[in-house]
Amino acid sequence: MRRRVATPECVVSIRALPGIGLIQGDGVSGLGIGAMATLRAAESFPSIKRDYLALYEGIAHIPSLQVKSMATVVGNLCVASPASDVAPPLIAMGGQVRMEGTEGSRTLPLEDFFLGVNQTALGPGELVTLVSVPAPGPGSGGAFMRLARTATDVAKLNVAVMMRMGDGVCQDVRIALGALAPRPIRARKAEEILRGRKVEGERIAAAAEAACGEISPISDIRSTVEYRKEMTKLLVRKSLEKALERTGR
Amino acid sequence: MRKTGTKKTGMKKEIATFDVNGRPHEVILEPHKTLLEVLRDQLDLTGTKFGCGTGECGCCTVLINGNPALSCLTLAITAKDKQITTIEGLRAGDGLHPLQKAFIDYGAVQCGFCTPGMILTAKALLDENPDPTVEEVKKGLAGNLCRCTGYVKIIQAVMAAAEDMPKI
Repeated sequence: MRRRVATPECVVSIRALPGIGLIQGDGVSGLGIGAMATLRAAESFPSIKRDYLALYEGIAHIPSLQVKSMATVVGNLCVASPASDVAPPLIAMGGQVRMEGTEGSRTLPLEDFFLGVNQTALGPGELVTLVSVPAPGPGSGGAFMRLARTATDVAKLNVAVMMRMGDGVCQDVRIALGALAPRPIRARKAEEILRGRKVEGERIAAAAEAACGEISPISDIRSTVEYRKEMTKLLVRKSLEKALERTGR
Repeated sequence: MRKTGTKKTGMKKEIATFDVNGRPHEVILEPHKTLLEVLRDQLDLTGTKFGCGTGECGCCTVLINGNPALSCLTLAITAKDKQITTIEGLRAGDGLHPLQKAFIDYGAVQCGFCTPGMILTAKALLDENPDPTVEEVKKGLAGNLCRCTGYVKIIQAVMAAAEDMPKI
């Protein structure tokens, strides 16, 4: 609105809606983040740091305390920046968005919520009221990594991984990538290489290579296509290793 | 800025009361005004600075209910029933706040433009964590830029003030 990209006739504040700023849940029951909950509130919520570490890492690196105290998790998602640091962890964790509108309410997996650069599935008169995340389950580990020019800059690329191990094999894994396509995406082929298998060096490298084939990065002031592809390989590998290590904790 | 005054759908002005530095202030509030504009232009509290206007620099930081907030990105109307602290409200009686004193003693003020925001963010930090490490001070002040780059002395001043401040 300040930049006159949008000039609405009417703006409705949702601040007064009861319960809309709450964060609830834990590592067993799952997590619910209300639309007005700030990044700072999420960062300070003990269960997020303990049980949803990738999300914590996606938020904690943001330098400005003031920004984190004012910006909200759901607001970050609704901007639908391809480079959001909040979206990939929530996608990797199987996050869902709940939307309310005049036609009633509906829920979408977060990865289907993003349609393109700054475009979401929100219809006219709809608003997101909650983003929810299922409990990680035993044997789970997550990780988030990013590359940026400076601490305060938007990511050149970022990677979030959620992995669940059991009986020595990967029971489930989700790899979410940011700033590598018009919207945050899943690296499904890379996931397939790992699911149901033992997770070790060569297979991790193969998954990282596969992830590289699933992206459509651009060259801009932050990076080139070639650099982003190389770094995707590196960051996917490192994130998988980190998540794997954390499954054992 | 585009004129919207002739539009019939525009929102009405209202008389609003703001609790600034422990005192009620009544203003005629236009709903699109930022808190920074109200503080500076209507209440003459010009200690709060307009830096970038986009939430990058932290110069406009005030405390809202004790939390550091960017007044240039805060619609004043959302701060109506909350306690607002600006740099003018930090002084205790006739004396300076320990942070203000430490900033002078350590030469942490160069051009001074970032200082009000720095001090208020530091106050919020010390209220939450009275005994911070240097690393915690650096992290806590990460949202405040000093273009004179006087960070070393600013951090020293905050550490010194933490020593001086009465512990509860």
